[in-house]
Amino acid sequence: MPPEKTVHTAASLPAEEQSQEQKMHSMISALWERSRHTVAERARLLESAGELWNDNRLDAATKLRAVDSAHKLAGVLGTFGLPRGTDLAREAEGLFGQSTPPGKAEIERLQVLLAELTRLIDRGPNPTV
Amino acid sequence: MGWDPISQCLEACSLMTRRILIIDDEDDIRQVAAMSLETVAGWDVMLANSGKQGIERASAEQPDAILLDVMMPEMDGPTTLLKLKASGVTSHIPVLLLTAKVQGPDQRRFAEMGVAATLFKPFDPLTLARQISAALGWKEGD
Repeated sequence: MPPEKTVHTAASLPAEEQSQEQKMHSMISALWERSRHTVAERARLLESAGELWNDNRLDAATKLRAVDSAHKLAGVLGTFGLPRGTDLAREAEGLFGQSTPPGKAEIERLQVLLAELTRLIDRGPNPTV
Repeated sequence: MGWDPISQCLEACSLMTRRILIIDDEDDIRQVAAMSLETVAGWDVMLANSGKQGIERASAEQPDAILLDVMMPEMDGPTTLLKLKASGVTSHIPVLLLTAKVQGPDQRRFAEMGVAATLFKPFDPLTLARQISAALGWKEGD
């Protein structure tokens, strides 16, 4: 699978902007390396909350933390070049944030999307770095 | 042609480096946004990790604009915005909200609170400065 990219492609920009874009990409990669531990921790919190939900043992405080973690992931992953991660985190935020108890289909969907989210974060925006 | 003070002032103003205050509780967002604005636009960036710290820095340092996160613990973005607008020292500083939420009712509420613009997370680091400039009517290269 090809690495996910941010919005611009270097080929579509003039030379000066290409160089600026390359500089930005390398700086963002460095920041990702510093942030990935926190990002992965948030994803792990979501997985734990998903398991508790599946066992019907999710308390209100953990549910709130899950909504907050999903929200934070949704806000940051796309900026790091993982727009699919933002979509998945946003969906998780919606599922954890609903007031009614989840159905079987929703729990299954949550488990699938959290597994994909974890894989994306483990791989990072640029697997060649 | 004589000396035109208005043109001189406009020219001087256009050469000024913009000073932006970023208020966000998330370290990674603060770092990426700061790097983006410094690298792409050459602006001076100040950072605050809470609404309280942000109000203090805005009052003391008078930035040209404030980029304010909506969801923060203790004092959230809207509460911080109201305090900034209520103070004579900071009420003139344009505030742009930065949010990962996209719901319509929130946007209307923010507009009514005097926000200059709402920008959305995730943002593109390459175009963030352009988005801020466009929202505030700043010329390219300001």
